[in-house]
Amino acid sequence: MAASPVLELRGITKQFPGVLANDHIDLDLKRGEVHALLGENGAGKSTLMNILYGLYRPDEGEISVNGKPVTFSSAKDAIAQGIGMVHQHFMLIPVMTVAENIVLGAEPTGAGIMLDYGAARERVREIARTFGFQVDPDARVENITVGQQQRVEILKALYRRADILILDEPTAVLTPQEATELFGILRSLKAEGMSVIFISHKLNEVLDIADRISVLRRGKKIDTVPRAGVTEEGLARMMVGRDVLLRVEKPPASVGDPLLEIHDLHVLDDRDIAKVRGVSLQVRAGEILGIAGVDGNGQTELVEAVTGLRTSSSGTIAVAGKTMPRHAHSRAMLDAGTGHIPEDRQRRGLVLEFSLAENIALHDYCYPPDSEHGWLFPRRLIQHARRLIKDFDVRGGGPTTRAGALSGGNQQKVVVAREVDRNPKVLVAAQPTRGLDVGAIEYVHRRLVTERDEGRAILLVSLELEEILSLSDRILVMFEGQIVGEYPPTATEEELGLAMIGAGKEHAA
Amino acid sequence: MSTVELRERLADRAVAGPKQVAITGTFLGILAAWLALPPATVRTSTVPIVLGAIAIALGGYAALRDERRVGYGAVAAGIVGIPLGLLVQHSSVSHLDAAFAWGTLLAATLRYATPLTFAALGGMFSERSGVVNIGLEGMMLAGAFFGIWGADKSGSWIGGVAIAMLAGGVFGLVHAIFAIHLRADQIVGGTAINFLSLGLTGYLFIQVYGSNGTPSLSTGHWLTGESIPDVTISSGNNFFAQVFGQLNLMIWISFAVLVLSYLLMFRTSIGLRIRACGEHPRAADTVGIDVYKVRYVSVVVSGMLAAMGGAYLSVGFTHSFNENMTEGRGFIALAALIFGKWRPFGAFAAALLFGFSTALAYAIPPAYSDTASSVLRSSALFQALPYILTLIAVAGVIGRSIPPAADGRPYKRQ
Repeated sequence: MAASPVLELRGITKQFPGVLANDHIDLDLKRGEVHALLGENGAGKSTLMNILYGLYRPDEGEISVNGKPVTFSSAKDAIAQGIGMVHQHFMLIPVMTVAENIVLGAEPTGAGIMLDYGAARERVREIARTFGFQVDPDARVENITVGQQQRVEILKALYRRADILILDEPTAVLTPQEATELFGILRSLKAEGMSVIFISHKLNEVLDIADRISVLRRGKKIDTVPRAGVTEEGLARMMVGRDVLLRVEKPPASVGDPLLEIHDLHVLDDRDIAKVRGVSLQVRAGEILGIAGVDGNGQTELVEAVTGLRTSSSGTIAVAGKTMPRHAHSRAMLDAGTGHIPEDRQRRGLVLEFSLAENIALHDYCYPPDSEHGWLFPRRLIQHARRLIKDFDVRGGGPTTRAGALSGGNQQKVVVAREVDRNPKVLVAAQPTRGLDVGAIEYVHRRLVTERDEGRAILLVSLELEEILSLSDRILVMFEGQIVGEYPPTATEEELGLAMIGAGKEHAA
Repeated sequence: MSTVELRERLADRAVAGPKQVAITGTFLGILAAWLALPPATVRTSTVPIVLGAIAIALGGYAALRDERRVGYGAVAAGIVGIPLGLLVQHSSVSHLDAAFAWGTLLAATLRYATPLTFAALGGMFSERSGVVNIGLEGMMLAGAFFGIWGADKSGSWIGGVAIAMLAGGVFGLVHAIFAIHLRADQIVGGTAINFLSLGLTGYLFIQVYGSNGTPSLSTGHWLTGESIPDVTISSGNNFFAQVFGQLNLMIWISFAVLVLSYLLMFRTSIGLRIRACGEHPRAADTVGIDVYKVRYVSVVVSGMLAAMGGAYLSVGFTHSFNENMTEGRGFIALAALIFGKWRPFGAFAAALLFGFSTALAYAIPPAYSDTASSVLRSSALFQALPYILTLIAVAGVIGRSIPPAADGRPYKRQ
């Protein structure tokens, strides 16, 4: 393995209005290594990579590829230098085939301008074979799984003969199994001599896959360290700039009466497919019940039914002893004492174009003190928002700031503040830390434990096993719409993992 | 193949699903009206009533079995088929024979469909690249006026069409600048194009030609008097000759443009890139495609094609221009494009349907010249036919039409 870097960044600086996104960053990438770029949201990782891929131009600094200085004015220039990028939000066209997506922009042509689709298909097969991928070149992208789509993105780069691959938060959209497969692919790419830049804010996966790790914080590079000898704690400290509690500390639960009781619930999805098939469970006051499972096994539909966003086809839901009518909509569920931290805060949790005050008033705008006889009192909304912003330590804006202008972590704080402030008896938290960085995760976790200790019943649904294990007092595993086992928080990830793919033994804790 | 397998297969075939039932119903509904027409000219009122009733029943059956769209389509076909059949029976067979000479009717269909075909294909380029083009109407109108003006000044129809295309291209460019660089709302921008064109052509028309109207072949002002020629390939009296024997050159050009558009859009790398820009411009950008350039070229081509439709209308068809002569054909073309699911042959088929119903609307009234009812003798009632047909077709025959994902959404480079 040659020691000379295939890629070198020297003193890259990029100033956006009001923010110094990149402040004299140096970085080098060796042949055949996986170099992780670690940092919180807003640390400047994406900006740096967009500069490297020719989408932004740096104010200062230089890039050299294989020792030669280069300047990129568009993605085309970067591609020409052998740089490929897998974006966090895939750059694929759903209605086109895999092969069409891969060759787009560099199409094999037959006579003149005629597209030679046969050649495209052959070329895709050939590359897939070389690197040991499984893809169907004729499948439409909209019909394949997210994991496969990501492979198409990687193939796109390989088709363009990239030898430097940038992956932007590649595991954010993957299930744990798909992530494992991705790591396998990255290792084989590495063996073929490819160099990979792996952007992430997840400490465990960085330690799993990277050879070296560079940490960015607020636009500055803190350090580059080899994997050997670093710990999650050490990396977290570099990322956040202070000690971070990675393990949640929580006193033993003091459990009260059941506040959420679900009996034999059946729910259909939008395509009328049975997604929840006979779920019964209880969540008691003062406990966190975790629901683990691979994405798509009915968790989303369960949460939607419990929060009144989806009508169940049969079964009962009772909140604080009161059985809710089957057609109870979300307003009825809210009024019965349910709070909901939705899995997609930008789509369901907040109206991004509304101010924080308006977002906070979304549930209770129609009740005093927010409104009386149909008249809103904007000043009261603002006062209310000001109090919550202070209590929940929301940073980056005041009551009149647009919600969309906040960082993900602060947006989530606003959602949590709104839900908790209504003093719900049952709090449903669906993937409450998805896409958040270490500091914000720590906050949300601590808050959930606090709310538990206040005597609320908390239903936690998460795809992150680590989160389930560290927060829950009891764990249920959901597989194909059914509860397939109950586990204590002392269960191992392996036990849960097996149950999640339907291979666990029926288990009674 | 074992006999058991064979039997199962036959059983699968024999049992018609609700969808097939509904399609049969739609067919019967159309038949209810059609049987009253030549050459069948069935004269008993039971036939349309029974067929229509069966159509409604079959449609209802299918609708109750979750084939709502196709089912209600069949119901509508029955409901429209019965009165249409009865109405036709009001006219005498001899008059009907004159009106429904199918050869002439289909030739007229092609004549009415051609401007729509050009404009719809133009619309396809624009919208496939991601720019909604509601300004087709204005671009077409510009083509109509500048076609005549160009033919007049240059003394040749070729010059007329060329200048029409140039004018359409300029209007396209204006729309493109607003839609692409200035990221204006494309519906508003397109509407502005329509009004701009209406005003401009109206003004220039009065300025250049006064209130006497454009020079035409008959008044002899047209310097060389050259119109777009017809292509005579057969003068026989058989069906083929009646339809295709004598068509305007522009109609044949529209067929060529249709095939070329299809090949370009779906068989070349250029087409792949245009479609990529309309579906996911950022994805196109990240593989080095210049989204702005693709969209500019597409919208300008769009304007040029729409203008060809307009030029055909003025130089090729009526040989004159009058204010607002396109009369909403650009919007109909847009409907044809949507109706045809943003695909060239789909749009062409829709244009033919609109053309046919227009031809029908002009052909039917003479069939009632011996009827006392003035309502039936005026063509006004039948002018609504294209739109009724559209409603039925949209409700029943064609599924949901899904536009390119980024259609109408301005793209901003990072």
